[in-house]
Amino acid sequence: MEQKKIDIIKKIIWLRLAQIFVNQRYKKGDFLVPIHLAMGHETIAVAVDEAMGKQDSLFLTHRNIHYNLVKMGTLKEELDEYYLKSDGLAQGHLGSMNLSNPDKNINYTSSILGNNLPVGCGFALANKVKNINGVVIIVTGDGAIEEGSFYESLLFLKSNNLPSIVLVENNEWSLATRINERRANIDFSKLANSLGIEYLSLQENDPFEYKDKISLIRANALEMNSPVLVEVKLTTLGYWYMQSEEHPGGKFINYHGGPAPEVDEKEYPQLVSSNEDPLFPLNNYLSEDELIDISNELSEQLKEEIS
Amino acid sequence: MKYVQYINSLLKEHVSNNDDLVLYGQNVDAGSCLSGLTRGLSSHNRGLTINTTNSENSLVGIGFGLMLNDISSVFFMKQMDFLLLGIDQLVNTYNVIRQKRPSASFTIFPVTVDSGYEGPQSSLNNFDDFCSIAGIEGYSFTNNVDAASIISKHLTKPGFRILSTGQRILQQEVLDLQNLYEDNDCNYFQYKKGDDASIVCFNNSLSYGLELHNVMRKSSIESSLFSVNSHLYSNYSRILDDIRGSKRLILIDDTKSRNRLSDRFLVDVLSECTLKNKIIITRTLTDESFYPCKDTLDIDYNKIVNDITL
Ligand SMILES: Cc1ncc(C[n+]2csc(CCOP(=O)(O)OP(=O)(O)O)c2C)c(N)n1
Ligand SMILES: [Mg+2]
Repeated sequence: MEQKKIDIIKKIIWLRLAQIFVNQRYKKGDFLVPIHLAMGHETIAVAVDEAMGKQDSLFLTHRNIHYNLVKMGTLKEELDEYYLKSDGLAQGHLGSMNLSNPDKNINYTSSILGNNLPVGCGFALANKVKNINGVVIIVTGDGAIEEGSFYESLLFLKSNNLPSIVLVENNEWSLATRINERRANIDFSKLANSLGIEYLSLQENDPFEYKDKISLIRANALEMNSPVLVEVKLTTLGYWYMQSEEHPGGKFINYHGGPAPEVDEKEYPQLVSSNEDPLFPLNNYLSEDELIDISNELSEQLKEEIS
Repeated sequence: MKYVQYINSLLKEHVSNNDDLVLYGQNVDAGSCLSGLTRGLSSHNRGLTINTTNSENSLVGIGFGLMLNDISSVFFMKQMDFLLLGIDQLVNTYNVIRQKRPSASFTIFPVTVDSGYEGPQSSLNNFDDFCSIAGIEGYSFTNNVDAASIISKHLTKPGFRILSTGQRILQQEVLDLQNLYEDNDCNYFQYKKGDDASIVCFNNSLSYGLELHNVMRKSSIESSLFSVNSHLYSNYSRILDDIRGSKRLILIDDTKSRNRLSDRFLVDVLSECTLKNKIIITRTLTDESFYPCKDTLDIDYNKIVNDITL
């Protein structure tokens, strides 16, 4: 396999391992700041990182650890930020839910749902004024898109011909409510179509498909001077089953934020044996032993880095 | 019992005494139900209970629309900062609706975020400004007595208001107090009477005031203790009488507002009372106040005991 492809696989495994390291500390009660882990979101973060050009910029939400880590490539600075240390990524001034990193093209992050969309629009407009040939990538969620700013921003981006990607990470949940427990379904393809915006749907976590498709629509956004709407269906891992008299088989508890109680360090950090875990489809490309070797090597590196 | 459980029991009781009430908000009837605040309310509510979308601007407007059509509602919200998205409705809609003297009630029930560790956003201990922007009635509560009175008098009273309590105290044991006096509209409560000093607490500061009262007692300084619950200016005559008697004021306000109600109160004190001494404990806000850090006030109680008698 080409080295480039192996590097992508490595990034995905590293992202998982790094988050498990954070979770181990979180479970011990190490952090005062609330953190939203993004296990299960690794493939899309790596694909975006791979596709981004030098002049592109990212606008993130409360759940931003995957993008922050993949752009940084190291864990130490982010961990120190969570500890609110002065040598943290943002000198301990931002904590987790607002963590951005302009040096790595993460220009703004907001904990307020829908808040990053208009800010991304403004940034894209400034790119136009300054003749900068970059794509603004705004990440949002299936819950955050219920804010009016989602529609308003799509309309603004399209009306002003701004090269951009609005990326909805659809995990089906907003805190503890599933989409069908809180609203009607939204057909994103029709919504995009009604505004003359290209739409892309991703699911099943194939790393190379994600990378190629995101690269392609990024190129389209630039060429057409238009927003593109991407919906990536994914599962936020770390969910668990709570036993009780009422639910002897265990009641499904989705993971939203905080420590994931049942996620621990283990030999290979895959959590679920299906495509809902970004680590599972990697088996299509490398043998179990090869994957374990990569994981061991990366795990050693991480331990060394933060020791 | 944790304060959140106590408030939850008050809400359950009140809700079951009302017909056709609409209870709504994000996750009000799912998961942790706003960390327990709204747990089980749906089974006590004979009207509708709705887990809503994340659309605060609309959700505030919806409460006013229900009100126009004579249906009362309570909109529960996990954090007060999310209410910022509804400012247009809070101000512009309310300014029209208030003239109609509606018979229905609309209450927004957000939790004031005072943990401090959320970071620059999602951290807004600032009830005063929400009330000031459109003269909205707002009441905060900190203990068993004021919560029971405020919820029973205001939760479903015709008209519009905001009720809130702090995120930190919700997870603590109920502050179990007895009051000596309660203003008719729950604008303020008095908990202790003493002749040597008057302690007046604003926002969620009562626990500091109580601690100070106890420390002062050990030094044989007897103090009166008041907590102001209303975030709109009101008549403070009983507090002013007390200060006229003691001539010593200690004011504690833990709000992060730059538009403090306690400053307005101070104008009344300074124009109507002759003081021997006053100690004002408020925050000095800088950019650093918005880094993730603890939200509590650092108070040197022993120093106050020494200084107030000077
Ligand atoms: C304006 C606003 N309202 C409510 C919240 C509380 N809140 C934080 S995360 C969240 C769920 C968001 O769901 P989604 O956008 O799908 O992101 P996910 O957590 O699923 O990744 C909610 C309701 C908030 N942060 N901002
Ligand atoms: Mg979601």
